[in-house]
Amino acid sequence: MSAVISARALTKRYGKQLAVDNVSFEIPAGRIIGLIGPNGSGKTTTLKAVLGLIPFEGDLKVLGLDPSTQRDELMNQVCFIADVAILPRWLRVRDAVDFVAGVHPKFDRAKAERYLAHTKLTPSMKVKQMSKGMVVQLHLALVMAIDAKLLVLDEPTLGLDIIFRKQFYQNLLEDYFDEEKTIIVTTHQVEEIEHILSDLMFISEGKIVLSATMDEVGERFTEVMVPADRVEAAKALKPIDERQVFGKSVMLFDGVPRTQLATLGETRNVGIADLFVATMKGTYA
Amino acid sequence: MNTMKWLVKREFWEHKGGFYWAPIVVGAIMVFFLAATVFSGVVMGHSHGFNINGNNVTAMTHDMSADERSQFAHGLATGYMGLAFPLFLVLGVVVFFFCLSALFDDRKDRSVLFWKSLPISDTETVLSKVAIAMAGAPLITVVLAFVVSFVSLVIICIGSALLGINVVGPVLSDPNLYLSPFEVAGVLPVYVLWAAPTIGWLMMVSAWARTKPFLWAVGVPVFAGTLLTWFNAIFSFGWDIRWFWQHIVGRGLGGTIPGIWFAYHPVPATALETANGMNANSHTGDMGAILMQSWHVLAEPDMWIGIAAGAAMIYAAIRLRRWRDEG
Repeated sequence: MSAVISARALTKRYGKQLAVDNVSFEIPAGRIIGLIGPNGSGKTTTLKAVLGLIPFEGDLKVLGLDPSTQRDELMNQVCFIADVAILPRWLRVRDAVDFVAGVHPKFDRAKAERYLAHTKLTPSMKVKQMSKGMVVQLHLALVMAIDAKLLVLDEPTLGLDIIFRKQFYQNLLEDYFDEEKTIIVTTHQVEEIEHILSDLMFISEGKIVLSATMDEVGERFTEVMVPADRVEAAKALKPIDERQVFGKSVMLFDGVPRTQLATLGETRNVGIADLFVATMKGTYA
Repeated sequence: MNTMKWLVKREFWEHKGGFYWAPIVVGAIMVFFLAATVFSGVVMGHSHGFNINGNNVTAMTHDMSADERSQFAHGLATGYMGLAFPLFLVLGVVVFFFCLSALFDDRKDRSVLFWKSLPISDTETVLSKVAIAMAGAPLITVVLAFVVSFVSLVIICIGSALLGINVVGPVLSDPNLYLSPFEVAGVLPVYVLWAAPTIGWLMMVSAWARTKPFLWAVGVPVFAGTLLTWFNAIFSFGWDIRWFWQHIVGRGLGGTIPGIWFAYHPVPATALETANGMNANSHTGDMGAILMQSWHVLAEPDMWIGIAAGAAMIYAAIRLRRWRDEG
């Protein structure tokens, strides 16, 4: 199976501003990729190029199709929640389900209705009567019932309470995802998706600063709790980040063997949030 | 997949207010005022008198010959659809603003990203909206116009009967009673084809404008016309400025006004009144004549130039829609 997304020298300019700067990457099938970056880093622009929503420079293939010229064909296989989920105010729950069932060949109506049954939404409810979280619930119920090869979720859980967010990611993993599918997620609540990701991509100022599988991240990066008397020895190994917790130094190392680090103190896997912050410090320094 | 069907339904869900409620409310108000006029006329008829379609009914009751009575009945049966004319004015306004918002509103509220997440091409989206403007909305109006006209006719017949003129028999047996609705529906193709450049222009601006589509749509042609008029006056170019206002500004903005083609291709008043053997003294509009004269406009080159311009601008709207997302 060839890559689901393959980008070579992908570039997007808004006037003189470079939003995506000569980026190349490949995403194989059957992965859940977390695309993480600060605001304005080019995440959404990259995703919009992948979804054929904006013109771009460079070479980009999604499921073997060019999103800028073959978008109509592509959209049978791809679904997305772009940016903040927004549904038109006049839309009723019932009509929304009918409409998607009517136009999408891969929509499973029973599945959507099953998801909706877990919410407080009623068929006659209009979007304008819903809370922000309810709108997201409706949108997610529709999108999760579409059997797409590529699903792009740009901040999908904004406005949802923690119980529904947990439930959503659980459903995404257990009910939706399989080895044929690929999911790309961006979110600021990184900790919540950590456990479902298979791959990680950090993006900053239009460039990909880290692209690795979660296994690779676990092998490459190690966090060590270093007691005060070992700090000098630890610093010699060039940690990429250092912070203080309860009077101890917590240091993050890139590519130093874990057996070697174990002599310095207690080691553990780094959280995505900490890794992200450390990586971003580097790029801004 | 019957995508078109669902896209059209979608438009009706969104625009129920404009397509159903606006004409229903206007129609109800018209019927109400007609009924109030007729029945107050009946009550006070002998002292004041009242008019229907220019015929002073009260005056006629005093001394109406059988001939006059049948002429009155014929006038009613032939012209009653004309009573619903205001509904077509409403249609013109509704279609104008529908086209202007069609490809703009979903970008403004950013729900365009939802529609674009589904397998619907830009061509299908734009054409579904064109179909609403050119077929859906006009057909609904014709049906409502028939209901309003028919109810009005019934009210007039009852009112006349109360004044002692029973025209129910002759009206029911007049073939024009049954023909008129179809004749009005028959004018629709001319109406929508004549409106093509306006619909195309508004849709194109709707797809293109980032803000304030109304200002762009109206402002650009009016500003251009004003500028040309001004240059012409200052430098004495001797341009035919009237032509620009009429054929560029007028066709681009005023095409949804019903019957506006008669302003471009005038027909003698008598041609509209005598075609079905009507007496020229009667002021009642004759739908059959309007239908015939309207279809003559299809033989005019400016009709076809307008259609070509409209089609080109709708194509431009489809292309613009491709890369415009929110904002």
